[in-house]
Amino acid sequence: MAKKVGLGSKKELNADLNLTPFIDLLSTCVCFLLITAVWIEIGSVEIKQSHGTEGSASKEISYDLDLVYKNAETLRLNLKRNGKRVRKFDVAATSPELFQEKLDQVLKEGALRFKNKTIKISTATITPRSTVDYGNLVATLDTLRKNEIVNIGVLSAKGQ
Amino acid sequence: MRLNHSLVASDPFEKHLIKRKRRMSWGKKAALYTLMLTSMVDMFSMLVVFLLQTFSTSPEILINKGVSLPDSITASQVMEAPVLAVANDGNLYLDQKLVGEVKKVMVNPKKLMGDLNKIKKNWAATHAGVAFPGEINLQADKDVPSTTVSQIMGILTTGEFSTIKLAVIGVR
Repeated sequence: MAKKVGLGSKKELNADLNLTPFIDLLSTCVCFLLITAVWIEIGSVEIKQSHGTEGSASKEISYDLDLVYKNAETLRLNLKRNGKRVRKFDVAATSPELFQEKLDQVLKEGALRFKNKTIKISTATITPRSTVDYGNLVATLDTLRKNEIVNIGVLSAKGQ
Repeated sequence: MRLNHSLVASDPFEKHLIKRKRRMSWGKKAALYTLMLTSMVDMFSMLVVFLLQTFSTSPEILINKGVSLPDSITASQVMEAPVLAVANDGNLYLDQKLVGEVKKVMVNPKKLMGDLNKIKKNWAATHAGVAFPGEINLQADKDVPSTTVSQIMGILTTGEFSTIKLAVIGVR
């Protein structure tokens, strides 16, 4: 680090970089950042009770999706056009991971393609069951949101 | 850093100490201790860069004890709002305070409604002329039945807390 610059017998110029305040500053920074660090990132998923988060009153033709759980690995999907069921799909799998993959596939290839046209689903309503745990429900919400279905509502058990 | 073996000391006591040290280490090789400052500064700089990258200014909410949140890949930023938690021990907590057993609260939500009304009143007192946003964070253990969560949501909607945000662990 030390480098002496000078000319012969003249007084040498000390061009040392004083590392002490630099290390002090870095240590303070490290301490502050370690104290304020967020190790677990908590996020949120917005949801509404019984109906979607945004209305679709301006659209003439609206498509809605009903997801009715039969058990943790079986689900019925009802595609509705202006409130009338036009298609139904059954999703069944042997494990929760496979179930989400299957649901994603059904949404992409079935529900979001109506008469060979890509449709936009305005709202989705999920009817839960007591046999379905909350983690599974959030995974389903994730799959729906991944497929750009963001207006999602959850029916209460009494509202079934 | 090199041990000072010269007699350049301001204090007679320091001089004495240095002399004693010389006497004690007579015949021994002078010890040389070197602290690698360059690598230390490098390490500190890397730590600072890493911590600055992970630094977050978004609001944080406390996770209740006994609640293991589900993971989500589509999570959005969390907001500052009251936190209602459904723990896996079957208890319901509002802002870390016990409200009661979930089963009892679902049958008789009087206490929960009272607590929610208090929050609304406090909001009205501090935000005069501003409409109540009805925002609430709902934390629930991932093993809790989904029907329990939906019933709690029903109670919240009845209590004018219609903007429910489900707390999840953001996965990237």
